[in-house]
Amino acid sequence: MRSALRIWTAFILLLLYAPLLVMAAFSFNESKYATSFTGFTLDWYRRVVADSELVGILWNTLTIALGSMVLATVLGTMAALGLRRRFRGRRLFSGLVATPVMVPDIVLGISLLVFFRALSVPISLGTALVAHTTFNMAYVAIVVSARLEGMDPLLELAAYDLGASPWQAFWKVTFPLIAPAVFSGALLAFTLSFDDFVITYFTTGPGDSTLPMKIFSMVRHSISPKINALSTLILVVSVFLIAASRRMARLPVSEGSR
Amino acid sequence: MIFRRVPWILLPPVGWLLAFLVIPVGVVSARALTSEGVAALTSVLTWKLVGMSVVVAMITTILCLVAGYPVAWCIATLPRRWRHFVLFLVVLPFWANLLVRTYALMTILRPFGLLDTWFAAVFGLWHSYLPFMVLPLYTSIEKVPVKLLEAAQDLGATPSQAFWRVAVPLTAPGIAAGCILVFIPVLGAFATPELLGGAQAIMAGSQINLYFMSARNPAAGAAMTLILMVITVVLMAAFYRSRRNERLL
Repeated sequence: MRSALRIWTAFILLLLYAPLLVMAAFSFNESKYATSFTGFTLDWYRRVVADSELVGILWNTLTIALGSMVLATVLGTMAALGLRRRFRGRRLFSGLVATPVMVPDIVLGISLLVFFRALSVPISLGTALVAHTTFNMAYVAIVVSARLEGMDPLLELAAYDLGASPWQAFWKVTFPLIAPAVFSGALLAFTLSFDDFVITYFTTGPGDSTLPMKIFSMVRHSISPKINALSTLILVVSVFLIAASRRMARLPVSEGSR
Repeated sequence: MIFRRVPWILLPPVGWLLAFLVIPVGVVSARALTSEGVAALTSVLTWKLVGMSVVVAMITTILCLVAGYPVAWCIATLPRRWRHFVLFLVVLPFWANLLVRTYALMTILRPFGLLDTWFAAVFGLWHSYLPFMVLPLYTSIEKVPVKLLEAAQDLGATPSQAFWRVAVPLTAPGIAAGCILVFIPVLGAFATPELLGGAQAIMAGSQINLYFMSARNPAAGAAMTLILMVITVVLMAAFYRSRRNERLL
């Protein structure tokens, strides 16, 4: 029984990883066709790096990712701090903050598209940034909330007792304790934004493409090892960012709080 | 620490959500209820596509459950030091870019002539959302005391009876959470069926895109978006009602 379970798990992992590994392998293939491996080359990577259009697109992607990361981290942390308190309507508010995680991407993307059109705001990098902030905020709030739950509320009260102002209590006690979660949430926000396709697709203009959008339009026309190379690079960046985010979230809450 | 008023610190995030979530959703709903929108809401094509998406989402959810339950069970019974590593392996592809993963599947499916089929679309969706199923299943299986399963068998249950009558009811919260987490995004999926399913597999998401981007019929698109939204809200409400203590925030 146990070994059957392990074989099944190994099989599922193989199904999950094989396509990614094959894709990465063919990014080093000399031949243009992904039917057989004819020889090793880095040429496709050279072409990706030399593509000036891609550089502009990378710049767009980073602008949205960094901008929404900063906004979402501030707003999401505020939401998590506020939801710690008990007040009338707390359930409603926490539901509202978590909503962007629940609704299908297309619903959020279309809603914002219709909204911007109704206001006659031309869709651009700015509108995509607003859209990304909306969903990223929810993720930051969830990560920071989890951390706040593990924090001893008496530490903050002790700071007040010792004469700290709310501002001092926050920056000298609360923030240092939740900082790992805030940074982890920020990295998560950056990654989600960097990877997002559906919401960006509906909320950015045709001249303001991002990397996932570029891949979408490239693969509709053709399959080429250059796309494999670009995809492999994006894959490596996302995995690195996520590993870093998880590592940060696991830093200890504090010595004495548990 | 009992505060009755809404804390001021919630005002900026809640204000943002009102402006860029609640009001936009309201605008879409209003657009869906104009005369063109209502025409779409009552058209056969709309409900055919929504029905198709519901069926695809159900099939994908069942496939994820069937494939994921043994995986989650296996991970939960691994030696402690292996557990987090294998769980991480299962979840990692989810963090890889959706488009990159879909492209990887295209390169695999194309040589076999399987691209642009329903099979490819469902396989792609299964591949993308499996981690969403395994995580909550793992969390609830890990909590099941092995002793209870042993006790059932001591009392004369066969292994399959012990599984269906003890393990499954005890892990029901994880099953429900996993099914919801897979069903909802698959229902509104757009990129995966578009790239893998081609013209054969058209789901609600593709049709919404068509209405907005080429058919220039935003009212019909808004109507379909509203339907997806209502299904999501009903499912979430049912889920939260059944699990009062479970919360995300």
